[in-house]
Amino acid sequence: MLSSLFIAAAEDGADAGKAIALALGIGLGALGAGVGLGNIFGSMIQAVARQPELRGELTGIQWLGFALVEAVVFYGLIGGLLAFVLI
Amino acid sequence: MRKWLLALFALGALVFPALAQAAEDDEFDPAHEWDFKTWVDLPFGLDITKPVAYLILGTIVTCLLGIVLMRVKVGKDPTRRQAVGEMIYEIAQVQVAEQGLPTKAIGRWFPYVATLMLFIWVINMLGFIPLPLSDETVDVGGVQLPTLAIFAATSTLSVTLALALMTFVFTHVEGIRANGAVKYFKSWIPEVPKALLPMIVPLEILGQFMRLISLSVRLYANMLAGHLLILTFIGLIFLTHWAVFPLSIVAGTAFYLFEVVIVVSIQAYIFAALSAIYIGSAIEPDH
Repeated sequence: MLSSLFIAAAEDGADAGKAIALALGIGLGALGAGVGLGNIFGSMIQAVARQPELRGELTGIQWLGFALVEAVVFYGLIGGLLAFVLI
Repeated sequence: MRKWLLALFALGALVFPALAQAAEDDEFDPAHEWDFKTWVDLPFGLDITKPVAYLILGTIVTCLLGIVLMRVKVGKDPTRRQAVGEMIYEIAQVQVAEQGLPTKAIGRWFPYVATLMLFIWVINMLGFIPLPLSDETVDVGGVQLPTLAIFAATSTLSVTLALALMTFVFTHVEGIRANGAVKYFKSWIPEVPKALLPMIVPLEILGQFMRLISLSVRLYANMLAGHLLILTFIGLIFLTHWAVFPLSIVAGTAFYLFEVVIVVSIQAYIFAALSAIYIGSAIEPDH
């Protein structure tokens, strides 16, 4: 099983390298966004715990921040896909 | 709740014929969903393809939603239908328009951002309902019918870029109209020491164009990644072995629910809210 994988990798070395690079790029992008999202929701919980009456106003800002941070992963994805297709 | 889950599960299973059809070709590749065939040939590149068909359908559904929920037989004694319409209106007004637009500009730009929100929401939502709009056909009793497939018009860059371009143009037109050209472009220059200006000003100008990219790519990549994930997980059955069936169905349904419940609405809201914020900050540059 493994040996056949290695043979396949040797035949398609360039493609395999590109696939690893794509996955690594998106993975590292997701790492940063994961930390950022944790920060946003953590701060939101703290803020609502301290001042529950502000929940309505904060929810909009929270989702705005969520989308802005989450988009970072997708920039990585699009960049990776572009590199995968073009190079 | 359980009924809803079952219904969603059944909807997801309806995508199967399309994928089975795709697997009969030499190679299964979810990216083939984004190779468009021309359905109706028109001059000037105005051909009707799959995304265009979805856009037309989305426009009709958006108009119908607006008319049925907010125009027909509305009165002081609200029915359930009217309550839904008022809820949508309130989200568009309180969460989107008032968050970004200055009070004096709400009358002019509220229709734009509200339409943007409803339109993108409808298009995103249509993307997760299996519809017989597909390039592949299946043989039913001798008739070639299009297979049921999930596809969102917003998962093509041209659609989201066109929407972002509208916001981009409106931002600067409104900025010049409200402030005058000289005052508006001066507001791009921040108050920094003079020596830094040659570095900061190009960055500010670049930043204006980065808004265009970030606005369009955010929506595009979200929908593309969502569809690719669902298609890939269900496609695993055809790629590897039928025994992965339970795993891929559970994972595919989980991603489907995540997309439908969270991503679709959030992206529509974000696009409209950011458009409102950009237009608002062009009208009153100091804030």
